[in-house]
Amino acid sequence: MSPVLRRLSRRHFTRHPWQALLAVLGVGLGVAVVVSIDLANASALRAFRLSSEAVTGKATHRLVAGPAGMPEELFVRLRVDHRLRPSAPVVSGYVGVTDRPGRTLRLLGLDPFSEAGFRTYLERDTAQVELDRFLTAPDTVWLAPGTGADLGVGPGDPLDLELAGMPRRVRIGGLLEPHELRAESLNDILVADISTAQELLDFQGRLSRIELILADDGEARLRELAAALPPGVTLERAGSAGTTGERMTGAFRTNLQALSLLALLCGAFLIYNTVTFAVLQRRRLFGTLRALGVTRRELFTLILGEAAAIGAVGAALGLAGGVWLGRGLVGQVTRTINDLYFAVAVQSLDLDPFVLAKGAVLAVGASLIAALAPAVEATSTSPRSALDRAELESRTHRAVPRASAAGLALLAVGAVLLLLPSSGLPASFAGLFLLLLGFALLTPAATMLLIAILTPVAGLLFGQLGRIGGRGVVAALSRTAVAISALMIAVSVIVGVDVMVRSFRTTVEGWLEYSLPADLYLSAGSAPTGSLDGVRPGFDAEFVERLGVLDGVEAMSTLRQTTVRTASGDTRLIAVDLDARSFGSFAFKEGDRQEIWPAFERGAAAIVSEPYASRTGVTRGSEIAFETPAGRRTWPVLGVYFDYASELGAVTISRRAYVDLWGDQSVTAISIRALPGTDVAVLEEAIRAAGGERRLLMRSNQAIRDDSLRVFDRTFVITGTLRLLATLVAFVGVLSAFMALQLERSRELGVLRAQGLTPGQLWRLVTSQTGLMGLTAGLLALPVGITTAAVMIYVINRRSFGWTLEMQLSPEPLLAAVGVAVGAALIAGVYPAYRMSQTPPAEALRSE
Amino acid sequence: MTRLAQAGLGAVALAALIACGSRVEAPPPSTLAVAELLGPADTAGFERATGGREFHFPADHGPHDGYRTEWWYYTGNLADPTGRRFGYQLTFFRSSLTATPAERSSAWGADQVFMAHFTVTDVDRQRFVSHERFARRALGLAGAQTEPFRIWVEDWSALGEPAGSVRLQAQAGDTEIDLEVGSGKPPVLQGDAGLSQKGAGLGNASYYYSQTRMPTAGRVSISGESFEVSGESWLDREWSTSVLEAGQIGWDWFSLQLDDRHELMVYVIRREDGSADPNSAGTLVEPDGSSRSVEPSRWRLEPTGSWTSPESGARYPSGWTLSVPTAGLELEITPLVVDQELRHTFRYWEGAVAVSGTSGGEPITGRGYVELTGY
Repeated sequence: MSPVLRRLSRRHFTRHPWQALLAVLGVGLGVAVVVSIDLANASALRAFRLSSEAVTGKATHRLVAGPAGMPEELFVRLRVDHRLRPSAPVVSGYVGVTDRPGRTLRLLGLDPFSEAGFRTYLERDTAQVELDRFLTAPDTVWLAPGTGADLGVGPGDPLDLELAGMPRRVRIGGLLEPHELRAESLNDILVADISTAQELLDFQGRLSRIELILADDGEARLRELAAALPPGVTLERAGSAGTTGERMTGAFRTNLQALSLLALLCGAFLIYNTVTFAVLQRRRLFGTLRALGVTRRELFTLILGEAAAIGAVGAALGLAGGVWLGRGLVGQVTRTINDLYFAVAVQSLDLDPFVLAKGAVLAVGASLIAALAPAVEATSTSPRSALDRAELESRTHRAVPRASAAGLALLAVGAVLLLLPSSGLPASFAGLFLLLLGFALLTPAATMLLIAILTPVAGLLFGQLGRIGGRGVVAALSRTAVAISALMIAVSVIVGVDVMVRSFRTTVEGWLEYSLPADLYLSAGSAPTGSLDGVRPGFDAEFVERLGVLDGVEAMSTLRQTTVRTASGDTRLIAVDLDARSFGSFAFKEGDRQEIWPAFERGAAAIVSEPYASRTGVTRGSEIAFETPAGRRTWPVLGVYFDYASELGAVTISRRAYVDLWGDQSVTAISIRALPGTDVAVLEEAIRAAGGERRLLMRSNQAIRDDSLRVFDRTFVITGTLRLLATLVAFVGVLSAFMALQLERSRELGVLRAQGLTPGQLWRLVTSQTGLMGLTAGLLALPVGITTAAVMIYVINRRSFGWTLEMQLSPEPLLAAVGVAVGAALIAGVYPAYRMSQTPPAEALRSE
Repeated sequence: MTRLAQAGLGAVALAALIACGSRVEAPPPSTLAVAELLGPADTAGFERATGGREFHFPADHGPHDGYRTEWWYYTGNLADPTGRRFGYQLTFFRSSLTATPAERSSAWGADQVFMAHFTVTDVDRQRFVSHERFARRALGLAGAQTEPFRIWVEDWSALGEPAGSVRLQAQAGDTEIDLEVGSGKPPVLQGDAGLSQKGAGLGNASYYYSQTRMPTAGRVSISGESFEVSGESWLDREWSTSVLEAGQIGWDWFSLQLDDRHELMVYVIRREDGSADPNSAGTLVEPDGSSRSVEPSRWRLEPTGSWTSPESGARYPSGWTLSVPTAGLELEITPLVVDQELRHTFRYWEGAVAVSGTSGGEPITGRGYVELTGY
């Protein structure tokens, strides 16, 4: 590019600094959102990998069993009789912290003499672990310095824990300083001798798992040993827990990522908008240059160069902003993962250079792609017609049908992607993006149509000025269409996310309503609901019996939640003991409650939750096989029930069958229906008395509903944050577009002023025009937003999480969206209107 | 004797060694701070070796749980029918973690930890293999019992046979021993009728007896090759609560079996300043099994060479002359393999040696084991 051209380019942007500024801001915001979400996701994932490495160590294989674990003698037998080493017994479980309701720590019970090769944090050169105390001091645990600081405890201090409501005071034996792992990988982990862990978790005689490091020939050896394994104990490759966790959160992370890409899409529109304007404004100039002999290629390079510069500056801004924003988001992401999946406790942001590079490429790439169309347009136009504005507008109008056809084609492809049942989650998101782009391409045609309808209305409201405004929008379609599309896309994303979240919430509320028919609920608490490993302490059978005979109890249901193995890996198993009436709390998507109940009650049938069915393909009419201590057992699946508790899904059987096969009497939750006329507060007192020293987590159905919805709302906090950012991007976009548009009209407005238009009338003119454009964008955003919501509800949520949501359309989000659009447009008109009204007409006329 | 603290189960010993800033290097990282297990020597609540006691056999072959530390130390020199020579060591250390164990409901709850060392020396091929194991006394993973006699750490064990002999079994990788060890001469009480004073302080002593010539036969496997072997073993038994004192940094210990059916045990406790501690000791066992103490002033031990471990950098004496004029002995002691260093949680040198020299002017040969700690 010649220096003259470069100077030309610089000159343009120094004369219109706000234009460059807003473009950079738009790209920056878009990139910041993408980068921050990526960083937060990557950090959360790494946190998970680290903590699973801290927990699983360097095992290549492990022996696992069902909820009751495996007999500890198995370890002795394998180690002494079969000389199977390295092998390490592990007892792992979850405990609550008394002072921190809702805080769950993982308790890891290890045998230091078996640990060599597996985990390094008990090594002598790093650990402050005195072996004699580690082995012999009961109720003593070790933790990482960070966890200690967080809980406010140090060596020697007591720490009050809760296990199924039972208070247990432990003492901090000392601090662990792992040297191979980052210290944070031990966050929220308590390490104790295996004896201590068994005693705290009431898991005497049992092991959660046995870890193994097998050489290549070890597998053959293990097959020999397989005969020695008792029923219900299976050998699995290590690391599959890690992949399960990654799979578990995969849908959640993909959704976040897609939302962040929506923000970038808005940003890209903004760049497109800016570059288009920058080109259009200089059409005459470019025409002159071409006439003077500047080649197309030089011009093309100039325009793309400008876009690349905007992209680069925007990228720098976006990366800085993304890191800053990511620090805030990583907390939200881990919080949600903690609520929904498993305990991870990483709050620090990992600055993955790959993520940063990706953000930078995205910014520059999006800028270049956005600039491509205006560059092509500017260079393909003959110098003569480039000098003619009317020619441009008529060309734009002629292009409208073509754009609409392309839009329809994109809509069709998008719809196919969304409707194909075989499409995965990424394909669904691609479909959604295509839909949005298709709608954006249809915007010019829709704008012309809408303005035709709205102009008479504006005429009625603002008289002649209103009509001028309306016609102006159509007359300057080359500029207005882009601005309206950008605003429309941003607002439709807001509408879509809003409607989806509201629908989701209403569905969950309804489900909570019918699935919680009892009056009081007791929970043994502790483990994160989605977590699939570890001992889950429960209430003992004797306590449960005591509750059943209390005065005022009409009926009692119990629930035991645990993890068992099936052909499709670890599965959450729920064993319930309830009467026919409480069975009514299951709403069946497939299968008939009356028909299912008799077989279910006998323990001869299983039912599965909707997410489980869609995740595994196990559905009504299938069979499901569990590894039990009594060997493999198969149940017919008679029904699929609605459930929003966990996207991993669950299999429910009757307690009778569970106790028979697993011999596990404890329960993790109890619900109590009071006799009519019973004072629930009195009953609550009686229950507490029956609990003795247990600190019972007892809640009314209302409280559970509220708590559940609180978790729900917390989950969507991050969505709210993203929506806010998308709005911001849209706002910056509309501001830059409308300001450019209005300022470009300086001359036109100058003429009007010269013809006697008062400053007040000028205000009305500008306002009516921007208002019309805002209204157009807002109205167009409604069907697009509702379509987006429908796609998220019926396609994306179902494919991500496997649950059915009922779409709820309420007027509030729709009105709010139109309001945002109009408001943003009006605000964007303020500065140009002010400037025009302050400029003497003569100067305005001279300005070109 | 002394193998005592060596492996360090003598908590005191180690603490003392480290406290004195001796040349004992930090052992390579291993699981858990076993050294700390030996920890600050809290002797409260444990029995101490403070006076004479009557020894009863076979009861005293079994464990003495009231004492903090105890070991069963089998070493031996063996050969196959073609004359190919091997040495072996199989030792079990018992360590009480607390004198006041808490009530535990978990079967893993343990107040004792066992450590075992297993070595084989292949003299012809100049190879030395050593392994270490730890386990808690719980769930049958490790333990010691008198009736029937059994000391074990997982699958390594010393098991009493009905005929009165002991079967030693240990395997790690492709190294394995399976030996039948008879009792041979009756137990020899070391020190003052079995009370072996190690430091000046009262109770800084152990109860110590040895079986100095135990006929041994069985099988030794190394690198996948298996050999029918026979020869003689030596058992050292010692239990104590505290032993070494500040200023004592280690010891050199010799168990020698001479071909004229005499056995000689001597040890030198080395002090920080390089001098020999007055509590060094020696015992000479006659062919008929009777024994007598040989005061440190009555013998002289001189290193004739040294060897520096390429792995740990520690410099050990290697080769000695030992003269006991009152017994008419002038002996030369030579390691059968120079590198018989055990590099585990505790690093020390323990290996098979050859003996040659004169007894009353007549040429004599023999075999033995030497232990060097604190280098």
